[in-house]
Amino acid sequence: MSNQPAPTTSKMVRTERVFQRFAPGQRWEHAILILSLLVLLLTGLPQKYRATSWSQAILSTPQRLDTIQTIHHIAAIVLALEAVYHIGQFIYLIARRKLPGAMLPAWQDVKDAWQMVKYLLFLSKEKPKFGKYNFEQKFTYWFIIFGLGIMGFSGLILWFPILFTRVLPGGIVPAAKLAHSSEAIAAAVFVVIWHFYHVHIERLNLSIFTGWLNEKDTREFHPLEYQRLTGEKNSQGEKK
Amino acid sequence: VFTSLGIYLFVAQPVQAAPAAQETEKYCLNCHNNPELKMTLPSGETLSLYVSPETLSQSVHSPLGIECEACHTNITIYPHPANTYQTSREFSRAYYQACQKCHPTNYEKTQDSMHAQVAADGNLNAPVCTDCHGAHDVHAPDQPRAHISETCGKCHTEILATYTGSVHGAALLQENNPDVPVCTDCHGVHNIQDPRTANFRVQTPEMCANCHANQELMAKYGLPANVYDIYKLSWHGVDVSVYKARWPTIWHDSAICTDCHGIHDILKTTDAASKVNPSNLLKTCQKCHPEAGPNWTGAWTGHNEISLERTPFVFYTQAFYTSFTPFVLWLSVIYVALQILRATAARIKRSLQR
Repeated sequence: MSNQPAPTTSKMVRTERVFQRFAPGQRWEHAILILSLLVLLLTGLPQKYRATSWSQAILSTPQRLDTIQTIHHIAAIVLALEAVYHIGQFIYLIARRKLPGAMLPAWQDVKDAWQMVKYLLFLSKEKPKFGKYNFEQKFTYWFIIFGLGIMGFSGLILWFPILFTRVLPGGIVPAAKLAHSSEAIAAAVFVVIWHFYHVHIERLNLSIFTGWLNEKDTREFHPLEYQRLTGEKNSQGEKK
Repeated sequence: VFTSLGIYLFVAQPVQAAPAAQETEKYCLNCHNNPELKMTLPSGETLSLYVSPETLSQSVHSPLGIECEACHTNITIYPHPANTYQTSREFSRAYYQACQKCHPTNYEKTQDSMHAQVAADGNLNAPVCTDCHGAHDVHAPDQPRAHISETCGKCHTEILATYTGSVHGAALLQENNPDVPVCTDCHGVHNIQDPRTANFRVQTPEMCANCHANQELMAKYGLPANVYDIYKLSWHGVDVSVYKARWPTIWHDSAICTDCHGIHDILKTTDAASKVNPSNLLKTCQKCHPEAGPNWTGAWTGHNEISLERTPFVFYTQAFYTSFTPFVLWLSVIYVALQILRATAARIKRSLQR
């Protein structure tokens, strides 16, 4: 099959160019993130809502509470290792002067957001032209980074309260409990509203799993990235 | 006389007063009013057979016409049937059973009590009705109220001594305070249970809350009435409520009121000797958290609502999660809603152009 020439002229066959969007390592990171967060959420909710009858139905024996906490801790360690890898890579890339920087917040994001708001309010007909990561995607990334920082720190305090209060004031323990419990819900709600809308409803974007994004979506949603990759000047981003 | 009799009939509900027809008292007292009257039991004990007519006339029963034969059912005439009891204790344990004729409910309750259980295991010193209420000198047990605790203290001497020094005991015994708990308020009256069980433990916070969640009562003493509600939200409290709901018979170590405040030795938190006084709090925490360092007590919010002065870390955390986080989430919701609207509008426009 592979040595047959591509039948570019046939009307029965549509050929499509795709662009690599995520490297295998990044796709693995996302998969680990989804899995560990899901396990953490599912084992965390019954602990947060222990006073309710549905939680007590799940945690039906004292041993089950221990079990679910152990699972929660294991998932937390997996996620922590992933975070260490991610930060390690960040530092490595900076040290090698190779950090792409496309995910870093920039003034352009504020301008894009403003233009987007104008577009959404029918004050402008032009959508902002995005690069590889638009401000929505950057916001998701940094929201999660911020949330994981809080969850990790407060989670460690709850796991080792005596150790932490050897150095830090005792008041951080109830504060950590409140933060851990609130941030978890906030992050879950955010991911469902914001991230799920953008990757499932607005358009089905599976590039984080496949690694590839097709030409049409790249040109429409990331016109500046499309230009950078192809060298074509006239993007058809908004015109359709 | 009739009024007080009426009140008594009303107050002592289970009493089914027998018709005042037994004229046995006068008859019996002919002999038993002699202070010298006694007999020697087979055990060698000397049993006084003297009954003070004065004591009898002041008891609750005699004025109601409930006389000797009502309880001493086997002795109706002189000469009496031969004595079959070996010891005076055997005597008491046999005669108290007459109480159930008129007081069946309370009698039944005592049969389920810790005391009955101990007696069944062979300790005949376990109290029967007459040990607490008296025999020929039965009075209302709570006149004055302190009398209840003093009665229990006849056997439980050490606990009474401890209780006497507590905030509850001192108020009861020194001021005859009508609100503080006497023994029976926490332990029950006739069906007193073993307080060392998991079941008793898990119900303790609610028991304390009977008074300490009572707004009116607590206001009288300048105490907050929300301590139980806040405790229930705490780490310990949630744990305890789950055990109470699901596993009341499984022992658990999450702290209940008495673990920190003490049991019979509860003091005001401002008292320097109180286990929860700031100067002793760390030691109290260390009973369960032996590794805890001096900062640890700061983790305890002390049944207080979140406030900037007392719990600044929690206060700022709460402020963050009740203002900034909802703000960001609402912004996200609005943004996504606008996107849906705009995309729908664009789609309609496209279909119209077609």
